Amino acid sequence: MKKWWHAREFSTVAILALEVLFFTWYLWPEPGRTHPFLNVGNVLLIFKYSSIYGIAAIGAAIVIISGGIDLAPGSVIALTTVITGFLFVEHGWPLWSSALVGLLVGIGAGFISAGLIVRARLPPFIATLGVMGIWRGAAYIITEARFYDLSAKLPRDWHLAGISVDWLGPIVMIVLAGLFQRLMTRYQWGRSVFAVGGNETAALFSGIPVNRVKTSAYVISGLLASVSGVVLAVVQGQGKADLANGYELDIIASAVVGGASLAGGRGSVAGAVLGALIFGVLRNALPQIPGATFYDRLIVGVVVIVIVVMDQVLVRREQ
Amino acid sequence: MSGLAFHDLHKSFGAVQALRGVSFTVARGEAHACVGENGAGKSTLLKILAGIVRPDRGDVRLDDVPLHFANPREALSRGIGMVYQERLIFPSLSVTANIFAGREIVGRAGRLDEAAMRARTRALLDQLHVPISPDVRMEHVSAAHAQLVEVARALAFDCQVLVLDEPTTSLTDAEVDHLFRVLMDLKAHGVTLLFVSHRLPEVFRLCDRITVMRDGAYVGTFVKAETTPDTIVRSMVGREPPARVERSATSATTRPRLSILGLTRRPWFEDVSIDVRPGEIVGIFGLVGSGRTELLETVFGLAKPDAGSVAIDGSAVTLRSARDAARAGLALVPEDRQRLGLLFNLTLRHNLVLARAVKTGARRIREAEEDAVAREQVANLSIKTPSLTRLPDTLSGGNQQKIVAGKWLATAPRVLLLDEPTKGVDVGAKFEIHNIVRNHAAAGMACLMVSSDLPEVLALADRIVVMREGHVRGELSGRDATEEAVMQLATHEVEASA
Repeated sequence: MKKWWHAREFSTVAILALEVLFFTWYLWPEPGRTHPFLNVGNVLLIFKYSSIYGIAAIGAAIVIISGGIDLAPGSVIALTTVITGFLFVEHGWPLWSSALVGLLVGIGAGFISAGLIVRARLPPFIATLGVMGIWRGAAYIITEARFYDLSAKLPRDWHLAGISVDWLGPIVMIVLAGLFQRLMTRYQWGRSVFAVGGNETAALFSGIPVNRVKTSAYVISGLLASVSGVVLAVVQGQGKADLANGYELDIIASAVVGGASLAGGRGSVAGAVLGALIFGVLRNALPQIPGATFYDRLIVGVVVIVIVVMDQVLVRREQ
Repeated sequence: MSGLAFHDLHKSFGAVQALRGVSFTVARGEAHACVGENGAGKSTLLKILAGIVRPDRGDVRLDDVPLHFANPREALSRGIGMVYQERLIFPSLSVTANIFAGREIVGRAGRLDEAAMRARTRALLDQLHVPISPDVRMEHVSAAHAQLVEVARALAFDCQVLVLDEPTTSLTDAEVDHLFRVLMDLKAHGVTLLFVSHRLPEVFRLCDRITVMRDGAYVGTFVKAETTPDTIVRSMVGREPPARVERSATSATTRPRLSILGLTRRPWFEDVSIDVRPGEIVGIFGLVGSGRTELLETVFGLAKPDAGSVAIDGSAVTLRSARDAARAGLALVPEDRQRLGLLFNLTLRHNLVLARAVKTGARRIREAEEDAVAREQVANLSIKTPSLTRLPDTLSGGNQQKIVAGKWLATAPRVLLLDEPTKGVDVGAKFEIHNIVRNHAAAGMACLMVSSDLPEVLALADRIVVMREGHVRGELSGRDATEEAVMQLATHEVEASA
């Protein structure tokens, strides 16, 4: 049996812990003042921010493990906020049905990506690059440079079942991460995703329904992106076409930092969520360091490369 | 002593001692074979020669001058050309571009001298009797010609020593004949040959002396005229080969377990009908391109036939995928285990239970059950591995092949389709795989086996179906068949039209 500290997720947790320790130490306040990084409000802020792309990163990790890539999530998030906002604000639909249509849009987007890849045999990068432009464009066409203000129609300081709506994203992220981690490791479907990503032809020869497995990966990615979109629309109170711009790269980076290999066949859902938190902490803490504001993107880029290189070195040593 | 000398080579990879003091000399102008089972250290030896791996101790000398190559290109510049087992080709580039890849002839200002390279390629192809154009893209070149292009690449720059690693694994007998004529011709022109192979008949045909390695150690060098294949096999394996499992012949009156009736898939094969009874092993022999692999894949549901039907135990089945086939009781051990058989990112256990899970359709994974299934296959097939949580690339070719076989035997199939079941595996594993097939046939399985290895077909099959150009050309009883009779059926028209 594999030892638990050999699990790939463990090294991601270790990196996250080191990162938190570093910022806790570096930003240690003068006596008597609250810690600017390590306090309940800020931790919630980090979780809230990370969950938007963390939820989508779960789907991205599954697609990457299946040997594909999905560039569409950022656009699907934006389109979902727009559709949900459009129905809720313009048409006066109830929130739950507006959100449901938003989720259906995500599922539909996933099926379209999958159709282009599985039926029309387009390379996943090209198919989802095109689809990414189409959904972003659709969002702009619907909104025509306006945005839907959901917050005006939502109750102030809204609580669901006694919990502040601020916790919606983090809770959804953790529940979905647990669910999909289980599906990927304890169920035959998850094993098939790994098999298809590892060697598609051998998977086919082993009787695995390769096309169905690939389709399921893209549909889940689309659905989870739209879940991110609904969370964003509710928490931020906006439906807007330029939301989540460029998120596809943060989403893919989260999955990769969490151990997903772009060659397919390797990775983890839990790792992807931890990867999202690693970026969430960086984005939150760096601006608090005087003079570091403009280094934010650069440091994030360096961190991606360092973590992936470290990972490769570790994998090589295992062999 | 003049020639290529390996001197006291040691090399360890972690805890594994790949080479433990190997010394022998390939004399100038001779054809020298290096044989051994997988894991004997042949590949490491070649990697040291090419400069890909550094030895821990010892060195390689050419005419008593120590060689220390940093890369394969340096080896080439010293007159040592290598033809590797893995095809190192660029499919989208022309033959010329492949031969000169990385060593292009350039004119002023670094411009490629296409004319000079093309002319040199033309000359090389003529010398090797390869009837292809220097401009054709490699993806359109047949396996046999591609192998000769690899030889041409090694010869392109004044080559004195030509090293060939398993050059015949994907060639038919006729193509091997051609390659050997070319090699004998090169030898006559003073080129020294080092031939690394599993195939003893070829080694005996081509080589003057034979060096045997086992478990990283040097066993001995034998002069061809003074030894026999049996002696070589015994020193390679280090033990007597396992006794052949005997089984009784099946009665001809039993209802066929697998019936292929008039199966057609153009342009691969047409109107093929074969019956296989329970307990019977039927061998399909034919040259590459005779449609054998395509036939097995179509029977297995991986391609749609244009006409004809497949029946199992008398009831017709329509198979649209490998999953349908698995559920109907079929199993296919495919030809290319690297590409079609193994999942290199999954552990051995997960590989072994994959097809079974597909067949049962279970959704949840049950670790204890998987472990039991995998262990049973490991025991039945005597797969050698320290742990089932290893990845497949840590195993030798023979054990990898057993994993692929085990993956399908775990589904308890009624019909076992085998495509080149012992391609690229060592002698010991080959005998073991033959006995595995015999045992399962004896237990009532119907086995349909495609093989290019004629002695293998003769040793295993109760009946031999010969295919040529997509048609069944004849059927022989395994008991009476001879190599000549089978080859005649397999090549008749090819020879006549040539």
